[in-house]
Amino acid sequence: MLTYNLRLAFKSLRRTPGIAALMIGAIGLGVGVCITTLTVWRLMSANPIIHRNDVLYSVTLDNWDPNNPMYARSPHLPPPQVTYRDAMAMYASDIPTRKVAMRKSSFVLDPGQAQGMKPYQVITRLTNTDFFPMFDVPFLFGAPWSTDADEGAQQVVVLSKETNTKVFGGQDSVGRTIQLDGQDYKVVGVLDEWAPTPKFYDVTNGAFEEPEDLYLPFSVGIRLEMPSTGNTNCWRNQTLNTWQEFLQSDCVWIQYWVELPNRERVEQYQNFIDNYVREQKRLGRFERPLNNHLRRPDEWMRVNEVVRDDNRVLVGLSFMFLAVCLLNMVGLLLTKFLGGAPIVGLRRALGASRGEIFKQHMVEVGVIGIGGGLLGIVIAALGLFAVRNLHDNYDALTRLDVPMGLIALAIAIASGVLAGVYPTWRVCRTQPATYLKTQ
Amino acid sequence: MEIRPILSAMLRNKTGAILVGLQIALTLAVSANAVSIIMQRVEKIGRPTGMDTHNSFFVQSYGFGPKYDHKDTIQRDLDMIRSIPGVVSASAISAVPLSGSGSSATFGAEADPSKVTIEGNLYRTDEEALNMLGVKLAEGRFFRKEEIEYLKTQSSRFAPVIVITRDMAKALFGDEPALGRQVHDGLGQSATVIGIIDHMLGAWVDWDNLTQIVFVPEVQQGPVARYGVRTEPGMRDAIMAEVEQKLAGADIQRAITHVRSHDEFIERSYRADSRMVAFLSVIVGLIFAVTALGIVGLASFHVGVRRKQIGTRRAVGARKIDIIRYFMVENWLLTTAGVAMGALLAFAFGQWLSAMYSLPRLDPMYVVLGIVLLWVLGQLAVFIPARRAAAIPPAIATRTV
Repeated sequence: MLTYNLRLAFKSLRRTPGIAALMIGAIGLGVGVCITTLTVWRLMSANPIIHRNDVLYSVTLDNWDPNNPMYARSPHLPPPQVTYRDAMAMYASDIPTRKVAMRKSSFVLDPGQAQGMKPYQVITRLTNTDFFPMFDVPFLFGAPWSTDADEGAQQVVVLSKETNTKVFGGQDSVGRTIQLDGQDYKVVGVLDEWAPTPKFYDVTNGAFEEPEDLYLPFSVGIRLEMPSTGNTNCWRNQTLNTWQEFLQSDCVWIQYWVELPNRERVEQYQNFIDNYVREQKRLGRFERPLNNHLRRPDEWMRVNEVVRDDNRVLVGLSFMFLAVCLLNMVGLLLTKFLGGAPIVGLRRALGASRGEIFKQHMVEVGVIGIGGGLLGIVIAALGLFAVRNLHDNYDALTRLDVPMGLIALAIAIASGVLAGVYPTWRVCRTQPATYLKTQ
Repeated sequence: MEIRPILSAMLRNKTGAILVGLQIALTLAVSANAVSIIMQRVEKIGRPTGMDTHNSFFVQSYGFGPKYDHKDTIQRDLDMIRSIPGVVSASAISAVPLSGSGSSATFGAEADPSKVTIEGNLYRTDEEALNMLGVKLAEGRFFRKEEIEYLKTQSSRFAPVIVITRDMAKALFGDEPALGRQVHDGLGQSATVIGIIDHMLGAWVDWDNLTQIVFVPEVQQGPVARYGVRTEPGMRDAIMAEVEQKLAGADIQRAITHVRSHDEFIERSYRADSRMVAFLSVIVGLIFAVTALGIVGLASFHVGVRRKQIGTRRAVGARKIDIIRYFMVENWLLTTAGVAMGALLAFAFGQWLSAMYSLPRLDPMYVVLGIVLLWVLGQLAVFIPARRAAAIPPAIATRTV
């Protein structure tokens, strides 16, 4: 029966090729545009650390100006980063099972004469060793540095896979040394491919930036007085003429994360930071109301508006466009089906039941839906190709994958069926007699 | 032409008419709002920068190692760049305007630190910056060579003299003359305004205070040095390559981290906006195309099933023009009903968009424009099948099928 209905469907579509093409084209365009914007939106709203989402927390404290909040448009939000002195005070707590104070900086890497390469700038993350297990960073060779290295500000380095390929040709470089700003650093580990998108652990410095080229102990950056290349925000009127003055200042420039295994620890830690801030209030700092937050990665990305409003507007407009395409299809189907009513009348008179007619027309609608869905996938692939060309940061991440392709087909078939139900119902209701008479 | 028979024919196929009307309404609501956003972004991207951005580029050098001498490097590099034929001006500057990276600070017209609340972009630079950026001085003068201070460390010092943009002067002093006035920082230091720049854009394209800029006569401490270079028209790319090669070849312990045209910095800063423009333009284009083709398709189909009636009308005396007019008027009625509904929808949707997201209100002009466009488009779309209908011979009436 299905093959018979399919044959009828194709026959019917061939009878009005223009309208068939128009319907498939409209559904294809609508679905293609929706899938394109949805893919970009999905990329931006993804949570790359979802498997650890319930134990990781970013820590923020409100040490900002009592008269002006950090963000005039969202006055309830504390600064997204913390000061050095607060980071160090929090680092003393053993409530978290893991903790990390970190920032972005840059060095010049001199690969030496051997490679025939010029010295080049490397974007560097200065962090504690807990960074690697906390954020589930994969290692190709070696391992994170020891806590001794953190405490002693030892000159050790973990390379990204890309940097290791550039400097050591991709070989196991553990134990070798590299030169950064004219000083030697011992390689202790090399990462495997790792590019969490969005870069949840440092959204303040660009949620869609590439990961850093290499990783050094946080303490090394402090000892070397390396300025931060990430965002640094200050508000208090205080002189910043020396590194010491900067470290003691109310400037925020450090991202602080903790790992808390259960609710109990979370409450304990929240108490700890609240008490710390209360204590600081007595010393004349933290003049704003108590506003300290522990936020999980998903909440953290939402609060920091990683997904731009523009992307939401685009997704909304795309679905409205799909609605226009569907209305278009309903109109065309209705006209087409009613136009074929004399044939339906004839079939009914010859004994086809209403159910048969319904099935036959729904099969036709399904064919249009599948055709539109396939076209939609092609159009979405083209659309994403254009997005990649427009935005090199999104490269490789805005590709159409199997789930998205299936969603495209599902949307197309569902829209097709939705658009087809009413015209089909209308044509089923026709009295065979009316049409037989006019013949 | 009688409208009544057309209306009653439409009423016999109410659903069809409602569908087309809805489609036209949604098309208007989507396109008016999309075009409103597009125009606002296009305006933002195209606003005057105040600078000669097409003929300039920026270089960043990063020194390292014990032998690196920051001040000496800057002076040698700038001398070398200035000696290249075709270079109009070269200058050391703390950040690239419109690059999305830079620094800001608060200033005030009074010494009281609680009144130091006017935010401004801060650029530390030398005496050549005015010419290098290609900005216009409106009043006073720019820095002299002997006023430039080379900083050795991070510093909270406020220079004795500053140059500000007119918008910064307005934010500080209102309509009073600003030249010669004192500008205060939050640490109790002050500087004299010696010059006012007509107009210029600062670091962050989405910042409200983008046009409030303060120049101070200082060259920042190492190890990062940034140079801006302005060239004769058409020579930028060649000089960029030459500068990069010569800087890398100089016997100095440093890395050249980038050499990039000013236009490229700006293009990157506006990328999110231009992406929005591209996306929305495609959607607007497609929505009009789908709606127009839908009208063509529906009308063609109607012509097909009404062949006999049309033939009959022709046989009883209707002229070709009457048949064409019938379809045109029918379409006009549908479109008018659609755009009436669509206008309401467009404003409601626009209201919602500006309430939910940080988008400006919908300009009614785009709704009017959309209505006119849909009228014209509808008439054009229906004309093709209408002409085919008019070509139906009257003799068809005499046939039974």
